[in-house]
Amino acid sequence: MELTSSVLDIDLREVETQITRFIREYFEKTGSEGIVLGLSGGIDSCTIATLSAKAIGGRRVLGLMLPERETYREDDVKHAQTIVRKFKLKSRLCDITPVLEAFYGSIPIFEPSEKVSKGNIKARTRMIYIYYYANKSNLLVCGSSDKSETMMGYFTKWGDVAADIYPIMDLYKTQVQRLAQHMGVPEEIIMKPPSPALWPGQTAERELGIKYETLDLILYGLEHFMTGKEIAEQLIVEEELVNEIKLKWLSAEHKRRMLLTTKLAYRTVGADFRLKRG
Amino acid sequence: MKQKFRITLAQISCVQGAKAVNLKRIEEVVVKAKKLSSDIVIFPELSLTGYVVRDQIYELAETIPGPSTNIIENLARKTKTHIVFGMPELSEKTQATIYNSAILTGPNGFIGRYRKMHLPTHSVFEEKRYFRPGYQVAAFNTELGKIGLIICYDIFFPEISRLTRLEGSQLIICISASPGIRRAFFETLISARAIENTAFLAYVNLVGIEDGLQFWGGSRLVGPQGKVIAKAKYDEEDLVTCEIDYADIRSAETFVPTLKDLRPELFEELRKSAERL
Repeated sequence: MELTSSVLDIDLREVETQITRFIREYFEKTGSEGIVLGLSGGIDSCTIATLSAKAIGGRRVLGLMLPERETYREDDVKHAQTIVRKFKLKSRLCDITPVLEAFYGSIPIFEPSEKVSKGNIKARTRMIYIYYYANKSNLLVCGSSDKSETMMGYFTKWGDVAADIYPIMDLYKTQVQRLAQHMGVPEEIIMKPPSPALWPGQTAERELGIKYETLDLILYGLEHFMTGKEIAEQLIVEEELVNEIKLKWLSAEHKRRMLLTTKLAYRTVGADFRLKRG
Repeated sequence: MKQKFRITLAQISCVQGAKAVNLKRIEEVVVKAKKLSSDIVIFPELSLTGYVVRDQIYELAETIPGPSTNIIENLARKTKTHIVFGMPELSEKTQATIYNSAILTGPNGFIGRYRKMHLPTHSVFEEKRYFRPGYQVAAFNTELGKIGLIICYDIFFPEISRLTRLEGSQLIICISASPGIRRAFFETLISARAIENTAFLAYVNLVGIEDGLQFWGGSRLVGPQGKVIAKAKYDEEDLVTCEIDYADIRSAETFVPTLKDLRPELFEELRKSAERL
């Protein structure tokens, strides 16, 4: 297989149709009143918002903007509001800073310099807000995780990844960028460096240590059972880099496949119960 | 035996695990097809239960005869129609051995069943976890000529269609539950199986979304020279009724005489090579 950017080409119209059908079908099947999503102003959540609006109508989609003081960027809120206006969504803005500060003040072992542990509180707090709205108004939670971040384990367990459906989880980040453009997401949102907004100045590419253009091709190669050597040779990168990414992908499976127990009985939750989704 | 008759491709979506709902839907469609003078109505793979039912299969599977086949047989008698549908078939001799089966019934009752021989267990498919494979191809004498049954992934293996054709099938029916990602493969293979066997091939696929799998529909009747005689919509429910005229087989058999030119000695070689793979 030749590993060039064209392997990531997708039929955008067809993908849009399949994703909106998936959202609509699940929305109808579950008898929900609408969809709620965390609308950060980043490319993934803005794309999900547009797809949801296309699937069930903007007035049934609630975009929750959940900024907090440390990572607040005016641009992000502005971008989220642009999407709200353009696709006629409902929206709410809740400053989660007081809740975060309450956590910081009440956890006896809280250490502000441990930015990952602290940042994860932010992701999980946002999840609590989203699910509150979901429960209160019978809304379906639409997750914004893409395939690149999900394979890399680049998300907070029980945090930003918590959702009922994940419409773009089978699309790599660079494919989401193309889909976003196709869906009419403004260019400034697409071009903005992605960030989970867990601490100030954080960007995904800097933290992952690789550009998405390369990362996506490496992940595509791994998805298609190519060896580290083959991928490295084709992309002209160090084999060690490919192996590091492979290790990250494999070692993050605990974040993707939850509910692990030890088998004690006849049929076990998370192991060998295989049931259709409700 | 009729040389010409009308066939309905009943491209429906199913409610997962809800046999009563699906049976009602099958009945509605058969009654509708009868009004269009259809002689045979074909439903997708596992249309009794939906495709993705996972562990629920153990409570859904039924023997043949059983409550659901009785309902379908009565429907076929009442409407004087042939019906093909799919269901998880529980072996009469055991309590949890299940086949993925296609059932053919007619105005005079049950005609025959085919138990899927190739069970996909890769990618999103886990059929071998639940089903025992069948061991026999199916070719049944009916008022509508000799009819062969195959199921979905079987179409990737030309020997199944070939065997049923060599048993005399003029119409090969393939019931299916194929997700969209495989559409291009199926569209090619459906025509190939019809052409190489100089037979009619009726392909009926599921539509709808089950646990994230989107079934693509695109059901069709292909003639013995590969002509797509009728085709259902992609991705949504559709009923397509069209005509089969077996006279078309004769001209196909003389135009590209694949059956005349068969080389049986190769089959033994095939078997040996396959065993050594």
